[in-house]
Amino acid sequence: MILLQSHSRFLLQTLVNRLHNLEKAVELDYHWVEFGDVRYHVQVSVKNPHLLLLSVSLPTPPSETIFFGGLPRGAIEAIKAAYAPVVQILDPPKDGFNLTLKLNLSKLPPDEEYRQAFLVKIASVREVVLGAPLRVALKHLSSRTAAPATDPLLSLVHRPNESFFLVPQADKVTVVFPMRFKDSIDIVLATSFLQEFVEARRTAGLNNAPSCLWSPSPPLELKDVPVESLSANAGFVTFVISPRHVEGKKLDRTVWNLSSFHAYVSYHVKCSEGFMHTRMRRRVESLIQALDRAKPDLEKSRKTAPSRSFKRLSLKEARANSKS
Amino acid sequence: MDATSRPAVVIDNGTGYTKMGFAGNVEPCFILPTVVAVNESFLNQNRIASKANWLAQHSAGVMADLDFYIGDEALARSRSSSTYNLSYPIKHGQVDNWDAMERYWQQCMFNYLRCDPEDHYFLLTESPLTAPESREYTGEIMFETFNVPGLYIAVNSVLALAAGYTTSKCEMTGVVVDVGDGATHVVPVADGYVIGSSIKSIPISGKDVTLFIQQLMRERGENIPPEDSFEVARKVKEMYCYTCSDIVKEFNKHDKEPAKYIKQWRGIKPKTGVPYSCDVGYERFLGPEVFFSPEIYSSDYSTPLPAVIDKCIQSAPIDTRRALYKNIVLSGGSTMFKDFHRRLQRDLKKIVDARVSASDARLGGELKAQPVEVNVVSHPIQRFAVWFGGSVLASTPEFFAACHTKTEYEEYGASICRTNPVFKGMY
Repeated sequence: MILLQSHSRFLLQTLVNRLHNLEKAVELDYHWVEFGDVRYHVQVSVKNPHLLLLSVSLPTPPSETIFFGGLPRGAIEAIKAAYAPVVQILDPPKDGFNLTLKLNLSKLPPDEEYRQAFLVKIASVREVVLGAPLRVALKHLSSRTAAPATDPLLSLVHRPNESFFLVPQADKVTVVFPMRFKDSIDIVLATSFLQEFVEARRTAGLNNAPSCLWSPSPPLELKDVPVESLSANAGFVTFVISPRHVEGKKLDRTVWNLSSFHAYVSYHVKCSEGFMHTRMRRRVESLIQALDRAKPDLEKSRKTAPSRSFKRLSLKEARANSKS
Repeated sequence: MDATSRPAVVIDNGTGYTKMGFAGNVEPCFILPTVVAVNESFLNQNRIASKANWLAQHSAGVMADLDFYIGDEALARSRSSSTYNLSYPIKHGQVDNWDAMERYWQQCMFNYLRCDPEDHYFLLTESPLTAPESREYTGEIMFETFNVPGLYIAVNSVLALAAGYTTSKCEMTGVVVDVGDGATHVVPVADGYVIGSSIKSIPISGKDVTLFIQQLMRERGENIPPEDSFEVARKVKEMYCYTCSDIVKEFNKHDKEPAKYIKQWRGIKPKTGVPYSCDVGYERFLGPEVFFSPEIYSSDYSTPLPAVIDKCIQSAPIDTRRALYKNIVLSGGSTMFKDFHRRLQRDLKKIVDARVSASDARLGGELKAQPVEVNVVSHPIQRFAVWFGGSVLASTPEFFAACHTKTEYEEYGASICRTNPVFKGMY
């Protein structure tokens, strides 16, 4: 797996399971948490087996990001547009959550394929809600109309008390991510990962990808942002999105990839750590083998032929050993 | 936000299936086969031509170290293409391949649970016979690779006892009969502490039942494609097997009314796509019978499970024995056969009663021993009882204080995971 999927696997599984035994009344009550501190709560009661209550809690926004009624700007409209007949928004939401949706599973479209696509859409509720302002900005970009009377700089929450920034213009949208990591090793790995990431963008095959930049200090676009929200220990990543990246179906993917960028980097940092461990383990094993060969083992050496008491390395193997 | 305010992640890695989810729920989120499918074709040529290899990978759209799948996806991949090799990270209840295990955990966290490991405390399980070194290794991977803030490695038999804890009574003394896919242990626990010297294990487990069923079906000449026969045997075991009270009577029943007892299995040949069907007959009760009369399966092991349990309790401290007989808890997928607990209780009761009456006879009827209460407990969540126990344990506030934390790890190293307090006085 290279990219994170936009739908929550467990939510999708729960929805599909529920739909398959719709007439069977069961009591469900699941809580779980995803990366970026998004919490979910699913409830089904025995009385109304075709109704499902889905509550979502979003990460706490930092001071520069403003929520309207506990949700990012335009989230309500986005939910309505995406799930119109099936989903009803409950106001006020459940205690401790930002949003509660009431799903009426009996109103789902009958067509099997379309229904599956719809369930996936519901399972990617975090993309719809958290990515709502981003989607609006990118939509304006694809139709090349300047967003009416918005700020020159938008900030969007993506992790608790952390946000990334958006500079919408008529012909491009600039997205800036301040990258923060907790662990000192992670910081080093992430920094070099991001530098490689920018480097890889320059290879011939990726000419059409959005241009991206990495810098250790905040880029010029963020000169109006208060200093305290600009402390990033792994530098700043800037993407410039042009209209061709948000045409038609590409829009959804771009929104998700941008809003999960931090999680993506952190996933790959963990993967590289794991990969390094694998290499280290292999190395230790080969060193231990070398030590074992050097042990004077009297019992055995008497039994084996003298020519086999040490292993002669061929030239190729010796070179491979010295390289690794 | 502090990690202690979020629910802990509970992962119970078994030989056959892994159960994972968040603490506080009643069911695990996912139950997956513990298997990893790795594409080795890019990994091995790494050293020879790294540049050319990179280009080849790039055009194939993969990164060698990320090109693997776990669980059901892994099984599907290995069936449909030959580039993926299956590897089972856990063998006989012990982690065998740490590389595969690390990858498995990575996918559990990022692909299935989709949680950030830095945000959650973790509860993992191990079998009571795990070596301290392997616990250290687990701690190293969890703290170094995944940066977890806290880790608790629990003993699965204690968790299985804890699973019964909430449903009825606060009983932390009992014998846990854990029959998994790869290992069978009988573990006596007194007041939450494992009596290490009395742990018994037998070399027959869920996998042997599957192999036995496979063998029976093959010998009868059922029409099953050979590459699928193990999977079919596993499905037959999970769907149709039951425990009988008397093997001879059961044979008679089957012979009298074959229509009622013989089931049909239908499948599709994976290579040609031709549908086939076969009969499922005596193996329905002969499979689980392996635990009660092992001589029908292997010639070198012949002690039945009830006798092993009895021996285990007899070797425990004398003041705990009555309590142990009273609370025998089943856990693991292979105890799910219908009436398994009844048969176990009956056979065990027989052994105990015989001993009591023998001692009565020896005393010449002057003293009458109080009858021993034998009770085998079974509950509906047996399949993931260990996970459920973990979920209960990890949702108590004391859990976070009992964990090994990241700061402790950085201060003292992996040796903090070496000992487990439930084995007090063992090491």
